[in-house]
Amino acid sequence: MRQVVVQGVGTSAYGRFPVRRVESLAWEAIAEAVRDAGVRPEEIDAIVVGSVFGPPGVATRVQRGIGLPGVPMWTVENACASGTSAYHEAVEAVRFGRFERVLVLGVDQMSTLFSGAIVPEATDPEGASSLPLPGLYALQAQRYVAEFGVTPEQLAAIAVKNKANGRDNPRAQLRSAAPTIAEVLDSRMIAEPLTFLQCCPTSDGAGAAIVGLERGNPRDLRVEATAMVSGALWDHRSEDVWGFASVERAAKQAFTQAGRTPEEIDVLEVHDAFTIGEIVTLEALGLAPRGKGAELAPSGHTARDGAQPVNPSGGLLSRGHPLGATGMAQLAEIAWQLRGEAGPRQVARHRVGLVETMGGGAAGMDGNACVVTILSA
Amino acid sequence: MAGLGEGRPTKRRAGADAGGLAVADPRPVFDGGAVLGARCTTCRYPVPQRQLPWCPVCYGELVPERFAATGSVWSSTVVAIPVGTRRPPFGLAYVDLDDGPRVLAHLADAYVLAPGSRVRIVDSDEGDLVAAREVR
Repeated sequence: MRQVVVQGVGTSAYGRFPVRRVESLAWEAIAEAVRDAGVRPEEIDAIVVGSVFGPPGVATRVQRGIGLPGVPMWTVENACASGTSAYHEAVEAVRFGRFERVLVLGVDQMSTLFSGAIVPEATDPEGASSLPLPGLYALQAQRYVAEFGVTPEQLAAIAVKNKANGRDNPRAQLRSAAPTIAEVLDSRMIAEPLTFLQCCPTSDGAGAAIVGLERGNPRDLRVEATAMVSGALWDHRSEDVWGFASVERAAKQAFTQAGRTPEEIDVLEVHDAFTIGEIVTLEALGLAPRGKGAELAPSGHTARDGAQPVNPSGGLLSRGHPLGATGMAQLAEIAWQLRGEAGPRQVARHRVGLVETMGGGAAGMDGNACVVTILSA
Repeated sequence: MAGLGEGRPTKRRAGADAGGLAVADPRPVFDGGAVLGARCTTCRYPVPQRQLPWCPVCYGELVPERFAATGSVWSSTVVAIPVGTRRPPFGLAYVDLDDGPRVLAHLADAYVLAPGSRVRIVDSDEGDLVAAREVR
């Protein structure tokens, strides 16, 4: 198995851009990644795209603008982990000699798709019952409130931390003054106990990366591990909340592959679509035992100047969540952090980083696809 | 009505209620006395659906089953925003039916019930299961 490195990363801005062509978001990210990698476009021998809402054919329309005619290319849809799934595919392909250098793209434009009230997927049992995604997460939050005594303030602390971080991310959608705990709790209730400021905004964006072989470039990031799992039945036998076990499975594979423990990770980007998501995810990754994840933000452990900063980019809560792009935005932030190029968002210890993506939308399983990857400088 | 995908193809199916084309109803069915589903003849795993090819746990043969309408709340919430054609506030709960599957039900009264609360499926509201607090 060959050693794979991330040679370059790039992203578009994140926000609501309904007047932009979705391809232009992709081109912006791709151009930055290619220049960042210091390669010529013709040195790319495959393209893997992660996108949920496309539209169908978006990959080919992107390709039309960048050349690379005829190279092997396919699109992956794995819900919120589509972008990182595309990255996982690319890494595995290079590891095992299928390709030498792969362009990974994650892209979604939500602003031209949704307006007005949430209309869930009618073919899903929960969606057809009018369960919105914040409602799914609210059910997990209520469980944590009852089982572990998680307080509204502990939930709000995630939003305060991440939105404060997001102020220093010029590409994030939300960059106004960081809210206080009280302001988070006083914002409009969405689904008890999750208030408006505890939910990520709808967003458009793209992220791209060039994945290839070791080439002796000190700015390249070594892929120590990448793990992708799908969900398992989540039912009356499940003691953990939805969204826990799938992340735990992927994390265990990743840590084993890298030969590392959770304590060794210096900086993390994880899936904070809703505040409870970061709490559950950090427990599943092993940063805290079950029921103790809510203490990590209030104690400062996961603050940008803490022992293990989580979501220094501002997370989904600041950046927004263009589904296919999110994993690639997280990857870009970890790459910038590990290189020491994160500017005002830079964390002090940045040798080993972790990206985790997993999100909702299909009932009865403990998660959709989850990807966990560990990289080092 | 949300302008979901009006005039352009979208990957999401809104369903007839939300102004899209009708799709097959995936929700569990309440027949007035029981929640319909299937059970594995090998491991007894209960599923709230009837079209599965085999047991998703042990791959054994499934047979139709009628599940008790009573159960315990695993978690609940109150949704405070409009969703599809539903107007807020409305309560939702995951209910573990007695000797049966975990299902999502609307709550007859829109307030949060503690995990472990006993409920009974009492109605089907346009295809949504409706659960009410069972007070001894």
